[in-house]
Amino acid sequence: MSPPTSAGNRVIVGLGSPFLGDDSIGPRVVRELAGSCSAEIRLVESHAGGLLLLEELAGTQQAIIIDALLDARRTPGDVVVAGISEDSCNAACGHDCTLPQALAIGRAMGLLLPDDENIHLVAIVVEDVTTFTESLSPKVATALPLACRTVRELVAGAINTDRKEAA
Amino acid sequence: MTQRITIDPITRLEGHGKIEIFLDDVGDVSSAYFQIPELRGFESFCVGRHAEEMPNITNRICGVCPEAHHMAAVKAVEAAFGVECLPAARRIRELIYMAFFIADHTTHFYCLGGPDFIIGPDAPAAERNILGVIKKVGIDIGSQVINCRKRNHELIKRLGGRGVHLCGALPGGWAVHLSEEWRQEFLAHAKENVAFAQFSLKIFDDIVLKNPAYLDLVLSDLYRHETHSMGTVSESFAPDFYDGKIRVVDTLGCEIALYEPKDYLDHIAEHVEPWSYLKFPYLKRFGWQGFVDGQQSGVYQATPLSRLNVSDRMATPLAQAEFERFYDTFGARGKAANGRNLPVHHRLATHWARLIELLYAAERMQELLNHPDICDPNVRQIVEARAGVGIGSVEAPRGTLTHHYVTDGNGILTKVNLIVGTTNNNAPISLSIMKAAKGLIKGGVFSEGILNKVEMAFRLYDPCCSCATHALGKAPLEVTLRDATGKELDRVTRQ
Repeated sequence: MSPPTSAGNRVIVGLGSPFLGDDSIGPRVVRELAGSCSAEIRLVESHAGGLLLLEELAGTQQAIIIDALLDARRTPGDVVVAGISEDSCNAACGHDCTLPQALAIGRAMGLLLPDDENIHLVAIVVEDVTTFTESLSPKVATALPLACRTVRELVAGAINTDRKEAA
Repeated sequence: MTQRITIDPITRLEGHGKIEIFLDDVGDVSSAYFQIPELRGFESFCVGRHAEEMPNITNRICGVCPEAHHMAAVKAVEAAFGVECLPAARRIRELIYMAFFIADHTTHFYCLGGPDFIIGPDAPAAERNILGVIKKVGIDIGSQVINCRKRNHELIKRLGGRGVHLCGALPGGWAVHLSEEWRQEFLAHAKENVAFAQFSLKIFDDIVLKNPAYLDLVLSDLYRHETHSMGTVSESFAPDFYDGKIRVVDTLGCEIALYEPKDYLDHIAEHVEPWSYLKFPYLKRFGWQGFVDGQQSGVYQATPLSRLNVSDRMATPLAQAEFERFYDTFGARGKAANGRNLPVHHRLATHWARLIELLYAAERMQELLNHPDICDPNVRQIVEARAGVGIGSVEAPRGTLTHHYVTDGNGILTKVNLIVGTTNNNAPISLSIMKAAKGLIKGGVFSEGILNKVEMAFRLYDPCCSCATHALGKAPLEVTLRDATGKELDRVTRQ
């Protein structure tokens, strides 16, 4: 991540429902960070994507989005740092559009938005996002400290994001 | 050999629902169904919690209709606790609700339903989206859409206390009152909303109604079938999204039910199919006759189109003029035997009905902001929890939403039941898909354009089946051919 031009124009978004099991991992990470993160970094919990997410990113130059990830090829509890690409459906809202599409609209309108290389997805591989519960599955709960540490390192620019995966 | 075509996941649908189309031996469509993924244990999750938590739990069911769940939940809690909402708080709720409707209907038209017409139903899927709309019509459209959403979400955020998942509802009231400064600001926004709604209706006129090919599509038998209509109406039988009685008219336009939302179980029952997690509500007076439409079927729809069909008028002048033009266009105005409008059964007309509702919501926002008591600071009251049964209902953008709670003497929930907007339309969505699929797929031949026209048959309902699923990478639309044993024979993937 490039050094921020202003500490006040960064946002960390925890995506997911706090009541749908492992889907709550994004909001959980944000709550964990709330006590230790710089007050100049805006922390957001949201169960949204697409254009709603664009509204959260508007006015910022750097964004970290934390989300649950269902991926049978990976092990639950794995933490993946990824970027976004044109064909990504991460952080999409099925009700309007994907995040890349939303960003394209926002940029065409002249909104202040992070460049693609300054948007990072921290995805935690999960097991169950369809059962209503406030509990994380054990493997995902174990990953919470690592996910928080990963976000802090991204904020500090301590992760070489050139090797991040394209989502 | 029986074949099965699976479209999974459906693009641009909240959650990952899928369409199952079954082909017979010669490759024609024998049946088609709409399925959505399972969300497990919501009722048991809520039982044992305090009822006052429900507005802030249910508004996280999905990221699309939090305002609808927030309002239905607090109304159900009030009914259970036997408390009336204070008048100024009620107006604030309705004001927020109009802002929600405006943002939601705008999004559907420009991002979901509209691209099929503006870009064209046969265009590649990658182009049938809001970016394609901007490319074809101009960046000004995109700016108007984003600005419309932004100003209405700003109203919700300020009065609701939080952006996406508002938290302002209190049993009997609202957390904050409206200041005069904000009223003036929101009034300017409401005026912009009216202009934007008129602009959107003109786009629909220019691009759909003035295009003979699209008008033929709207009027075609492919997207027409007859079901009963449901919607919430005011005392003057105009649509009321926040409160009122539930009215049901039959396929010919005659009123067959008018009831308080609390009496919904006297009129509605739910059918269960083993292949779907979502139930199929139907009208008790007709019973469940299966997946059939017509006057004797229990199937009804609860959509923007049905809300117009059950109404005798619109409550605001500009929307009323559009309402009259709508029924004139279909030759249905005043043509029912009882002098009412004949119900419009052309399902693609739902897109037009949605824009008329958009205009009504914008005008209603102005009315509310001009009410002399809208800034009354008396918006909170002390409420005692008690044992009771509470049923709260609102019109969600995509259909009638009902919350049903039972509480014990401490206000703890002992029973929870929800009938959400999309659930009402579960059977008619399957009927619409089946009709379109049967008309479009012959001899086992299908293309992307054909499949999209099948998708259009359910997209018009604006279904929401939030499943909070996240996938790293692409979320393709898959068409899978299977034999009768479920073995995959072929698969077509489009991004």
